[in-house]
Amino acid sequence: MLIVEDLKADIGRVPVLRGVSLKVAPGETVALLGRNGVGKTSTLRAILGLLRRNGGKVSYNGQDLTRIAPYRLAKLGLGYVPQGRGIFPLLTVEENLFLGLEGPPPADIVEALYARFPRIAERRRQAAGTLSGGEQQMLAIARCLVMQPTTIMLDEPTEGIMPKLVAQIRAEIGAVAKSGIAVLLVEQNLRTALKLATNVYLMERGQVVHEATPEALKANPDIVHRYLGVSL
Amino acid sequence: MSAAVNRAALLVLAAALLAVPQFLPLLNAGFWTNVVTEILIWSLLATSVNLLFGYVGLLSFGQALYFGFGMYGAALAVTHWNAGFWGGTLAGIVAATLMAVVAGVLAVRLTWHYFAIITVVFSLIFYFAAMSAKPITGGDDGLSFSAPPVFDAFGLKLTLADTVTQYYVVLGLTALCYGLLWLILRSPLGLRFEAVRENDRRARLIGINVYLCRLTAFILAGAVAGLAGALFAFFGRYASASYMFYHVSGEATVWAIVGGVGTLLGPLFGTALLIVFRELVSTVWENYLFAVGALTVLVVMFAPRGLAGLWSDGLAKLSGRSASQPDPQAGAAEAPR
Repeated sequence: MLIVEDLKADIGRVPVLRGVSLKVAPGETVALLGRNGVGKTSTLRAILGLLRRNGGKVSYNGQDLTRIAPYRLAKLGLGYVPQGRGIFPLLTVEENLFLGLEGPPPADIVEALYARFPRIAERRRQAAGTLSGGEQQMLAIARCLVMQPTTIMLDEPTEGIMPKLVAQIRAEIGAVAKSGIAVLLVEQNLRTALKLATNVYLMERGQVVHEATPEALKANPDIVHRYLGVSL
Repeated sequence: MSAAVNRAALLVLAAALLAVPQFLPLLNAGFWTNVVTEILIWSLLATSVNLLFGYVGLLSFGQALYFGFGMYGAALAVTHWNAGFWGGTLAGIVAATLMAVVAGVLAVRLTWHYFAIITVVFSLIFYFAAMSAKPITGGDDGLSFSAPPVFDAFGLKLTLADTVTQYYVVLGLTALCYGLLWLILRSPLGLRFEAVRENDRRARLIGINVYLCRLTAFILAGAVAGLAGALFAFFGRYASASYMFYHVSGEATVWAIVGGVGTLLGPLFGTALLIVFRELVSTVWENYLFAVGALTVLVVMFAPRGLAGLWSDGLAKLSGRSASQPDPQAGAAEAPR
């Protein structure tokens, strides 16, 4: 279980997180929603240690992550799919997929992965930079799954993706969650978030201001309008 | 098609290099055998710059330090411990590698200009230390020594005094070094180097220990520079602290950039072009470095991926593909990874 307690972080002298608390339990899909600039991506970056934390605590399966180097998190089972996909464009699709593994990839994992992502399998010898945006997103998710995570954090996975591919990516995230992997999802697309999430946190000015189930949120359009500026 | 042409070009290059000591004397240009020997040695120093800059994205201006340690390792082992040629070469590599471990542990914590500055600082510290430790290093005068035979058994004695033997020994060791690097760069470790160069943050997030990758590359680069230094010491039968100065590192950086960083053989071509250019122009114009500078500026402006980039772009055009499209298959055949 990922537990974030009263997490604080600054960028330069500007406080961007002013005490974020949230929990992601095994099997849960948690969506972190909020307007632009409220600190959603910063929360993920601070959890990963990419943004210097100056208060609060992050623990994963009971282990304090304060002194854990970011590269060790993948090995602890905490996967991350960054905003903008984060693939290596000059490496081939296959090289991207197995880069994080120590030693050759186990055959059963490769087989299962290619069965799950046939488009990726077709293009495995191609330079990753030549894939479409949607395919790159699939590749980023697949690469994360290769490490056999128990929790994955996705930062705006449908951003800048063709609408017809958004449904595909949404289905893939749903399948990941169904397989028992916990998901922490930062998303601007409210429909996607509410469809996938089992629990939702709303953020404003670097703080979590509301926690609800998607159903409760749908029943309370005023809250949605106040914190997200949109109507359901 | 590109892969086949690259393979054919590699075979032609290998054949040409093997034929140098036989072919050049026929043209009454035996002197050039030694120039090619020198090119091969210096190309290893340029390769050590390339390994850092082209594969893990760290621009070092201090590789001359490890070159110098390679020189002194070989020279001191031969003069004080009576080590043979192979023992001296090994001592040079070990001395440079140990120095690279010490410097690398600190230096690779930094990147970009901070890294470049710390490498220069290390290089300068040891340059001045070597200059002042005259009883050991000979300072600016250097250490002269006699090169031991390369092979002396079964009634057969091969010495470096013979230009042809010297050439083939250097060619063999250089080829072995390039071969090992080729294996390393196409292994999972080589891929990790590239991932770190492209984006260290992304690399970190998929579980790559970026610090360890950079340190490994730094130590490897130190060992390669050490081999270059040891071979150069045997080539000149001389080791001098002046080769640890940063202008030597600067020259190696220029050779690597002109040849094409991020490709295995680019530094060899860059070194060859600029040393041949130096040999030709310096006989008619003492300020030939102006021309070297101009040539470098032209290459950087019009062929930013160096000579190797020009070659692969030309091949891509010939095979009808856009040169700007990355083609990993062709890249592998070109042997950059």
